[in-house]
Amino acid sequence: MESSQVRELERAADLLRLRAVRMVAPHGFGYLGQVLSSAEVMAVVFAEGFRPGVDELVVSPGHYIIVAYAAGPELGLVDEASLATYGQDGSALEAIGTESSPVADITGGSLGQGLSSAVGLALAAQLRGESDRRIFALLSDGELEEGQVWEAAMFAAHRGLANLIVLLDANDSQVDGPVSSITTLEPLAAKWESFGWAAYDVDGHDVRALSHALGEALTQDRPAIVIARTSTAHGLSCLPEGADGHFIKISGDLIDAALAELEARRA
Amino acid sequence: MLNLAPYPTVLKPYGRAFVELARVREEILCLSGDLTRQTEIDLFQEEFPERFIHAGMAEANMISMAGALARRGFMPFVHTFGVFATRRPLDQIVNCVAYPNLPVRIVGFMPGVSSPGGPSHQAIDDVALMRALPNMTVVDVADATEIRQAVVAIADVPGPVYLRLKRGEIPIIFDHHHEFSLRHAHVVHDGQDVVIFANGMMLSSALAAAQTLEDVGVSVAVVNVPVIKPLDRQTIIETAARARAVVTAENHSIIGGLGSAVADVLAEEGLGRRLRRVGLADTFAEGAQSATWLFKKYGLATQDVVDAGWQVLGRDGVAPRAPVLHTPPGEYAPV
Repeated sequence: MESSQVRELERAADLLRLRAVRMVAPHGFGYLGQVLSSAEVMAVVFAEGFRPGVDELVVSPGHYIIVAYAAGPELGLVDEASLATYGQDGSALEAIGTESSPVADITGGSLGQGLSSAVGLALAAQLRGESDRRIFALLSDGELEEGQVWEAAMFAAHRGLANLIVLLDANDSQVDGPVSSITTLEPLAAKWESFGWAAYDVDGHDVRALSHALGEALTQDRPAIVIARTSTAHGLSCLPEGADGHFIKISGDLIDAALAELEARRA
Repeated sequence: MLNLAPYPTVLKPYGRAFVELARVREEILCLSGDLTRQTEIDLFQEEFPERFIHAGMAEANMISMAGALARRGFMPFVHTFGVFATRRPLDQIVNCVAYPNLPVRIVGFMPGVSSPGGPSHQAIDDVALMRALPNMTVVDVADATEIRQAVVAIADVPGPVYLRLKRGEIPIIFDHHHEFSLRHAHVVHDGQDVVIFANGMMLSSALAAAQTLEDVGVSVAVVNVPVIKPLDRQTIIETAARARAVVTAENHSIIGGLGSAVADVLAEEGLGRRLRRVGLADTFAEGAQSATWLFKKYGLATQDVVDAGWQVLGRDGVAPRAPVLHTPPGEYAPV
């Protein structure tokens, strides 16, 4: 990959962060950590994978919908001005994504269900012979604790759903703390491989690695997962040490510092 | 026209009707939760293997997938036992089917204590769970004639449907003139003293109980209410207003099902009719050898419906005895 392409993808990721800070700022807290961790993954997917109107996107952890909203203007699916209404009373941009949300296709939020929905969409495409249609499903590592994910994983491999690609934001963060302190998920790649999936375990903030993994994932003859190792604090050095990555508090001077940092890096 | 108990029976009326429907509705898919023969869809599998999907023992995944398939223009019929169709994947039904208001048909077999398999297999709360969900249509039919017609009728419901079905030999109570309706409850028999609202396996009990009470001069109305939601309030109001007291009979907990639905209407209309609910009295049942024994133990026998009618009218003395019918093999009579 050319360094100019790398730079473009990194700028795209930082644009997602920048918009997320602006969306969360009026509330003083919110799902910013999820964008900080998944920004590169989604920037790469939206640039090199997802085709609006052809492919389908499932955001299983519904609170990650903020990253899809942030990418919405470039996809032509969200009016940029409406981002300011994120999570407000009466807004179309609900903080926990539902099917009425732009960009994504199902009601998320009750964790562990999104992969099954993605499998259903992939099966529908298979049954209809729509071989070009791809289903992308964004999952988080914490929700792998839900048994339904593994029901869906088994079914997808059994049916050979090669049109299904999971993007796993492995940020080691859930409500009660680091996922690794609560349930051992490792070895993640080996688990998915043993379930019949192609698995790519990469640094989730390295756009080159992500781009390569996504390219491989798209050409498999079986379902594939890109395991993106990430951090809920990545790309915003002004955040205080030990900020709660699941639900970041941000107000006053910290908002200004965050916006300044991201705008400077994108300049 | 009504047949009289003991009723002739047929096997697999659902499975046959479903295959006929699938011939003309190409969008139909059939999902099985590892209970293919038990839910009569071996017939579908044989006929349309490319539209048959083994979901395996994974009900949560099955329901969520069904929702996604429905989004893409398919009409998934999901099959398993009632307990596994409702209790286990309740959150999936909420988020993947009911909230999106998708045309998924959830078909749950073995209602109430028709299974002697114990609490794991006895769907005593499925109607309550499904009735509580916005957008859901809930159907509990009484016989093979209704099953055949209900399968066709639910295909045109724009949102989700829960269809509750007895397994095995299905009685034929109604002849071919019967018209199943998703909108109207059916006044099978009119009367002025007590009205019995019943559905599913308890309709035949209600009819037998009504005969027993009529024989001693009590005027009994019997209303078949196969659609618990949306409920035909008007028929309930009209028939209850004509009677002095009300009985409900359901093969389900008395909490949250037909009895509760009727109670809501009576209270909201200020009808002030005394009500007795026949059903599982806020209790689990247990495993046993026969469903008949469970129906008797948990107060779901014809005699229990007779007693409820007698008592709710404040009659003195002992209630009349429901006759014990001789039921030849291959025929069906209520307990």
